Amino acid sequence: MANTVIGSTIVIDGEITGDEDLVVQGTIKGRVSLRENIVVEESGVLEANIETSTITIHGTVTGDIQASERAELKSNCHVVGDIRAPRILIADGASFKGNVDMEG
Amino acid sequence: MATRQPAPASTEGLTVIGPHLHVNGRIEGEEDLRIEGRVEGSVSLTETLYVAEGGVVAAKVAARDVVVSGVVVGNVSATNSVTLNAGAKLVGDIATPRLIISDGAAFRGNVAMDGEAPAPAVRTQAARVRPRASVLSRPAAKPVVAPPARPARKAPPAPAPAPARVAVIQASDPDQDEKTIVVRHAALEEKAKTADNKKAGKKKAKKSPPRARVPKPGKRRVGRR
Repeated sequence: MANTVIGSTIVIDGEITGDEDLVVQGTIKGRVSLRENIVVEESGVLEANIETSTITIHGTVTGDIQASERAELKSNCHVVGDIRAPRILIADGASFKGNVDMEG
Repeated sequence: MATRQPAPASTEGLTVIGPHLHVNGRIEGEEDLRIEGRVEGSVSLTETLYVAEGGVVAAKVAARDVVVSGVVVGNVSATNSVTLNAGAKLVGDIATPRLIISDGAAFRGNVAMDGEAPAPAVRTQAARVRPRASVLSRPAAKPVVAPPARPARKAPPAPAPAPARVAVIQASDPDQDEKTIVVRHAALEEKAKTADNKKAGKKKAKKSPPRARVPKPGKRRVGRR
């Protein structure tokens, strides 16, 4: 399946909706609403409210995250915002500030 | 992870908006962007924008190069080139120094290729303005112009309009199209004027006979009698 990749020099200001995997190496501001997986790479910056199935964060996320399946915070990531997901994984070295709601 | 890593590696340096993705807003960047999905708003790149087959861009687009195989609705401005491949559909104005439209591409809008040769563009404007000015100035020499106007098209010996026309042709020499247009305009104007003159002459001629017929009212006199 063709992944969507937002490259490291790309800045998107607005709304992203859709039905496929998203790899973020650049910057997205606004709102992201997907039914698939989001991967925020180390260079990636998300300043957005996020709705998705699963999210894996290596980079920086500012905003509320709502994942229907899983949210994974890898080491060296920076996350500020509330996370709502049935399964939340926070790795050693991750930085996180916000509320966690694992009741789904 | 094993399946995930190859994908970013293969598309490194190329941002892709996938076919099932909808972006609404502003996209800016300094790298190539390939749109297979739908983008609304504006796109501003320093590199190349590819609108793939199936991609729909309803946005104001600015990039170095724009290559369209899908659908673009909105004004497109490129600093280098715009390419419309077969199957491409573009509705909007294009501003670019180089424009390539392939067979099978659909396009509706204005094209401005000013960036390529700004000097000729200025000259054509001058050429467009001058003939009008000369036409306007011609009425001063009206009585003389009417008869020698048509011969003047082949060889311009006519005293008053000739210098103006020569100047026009010289000014528009760099681009042949302008020249023909200008000459035609001048010719049309002259035809119109000669026609006007003829009409005016006919009117005068028509007016004079009634005066000549003035005696005819004599019939009335006869009737009165």
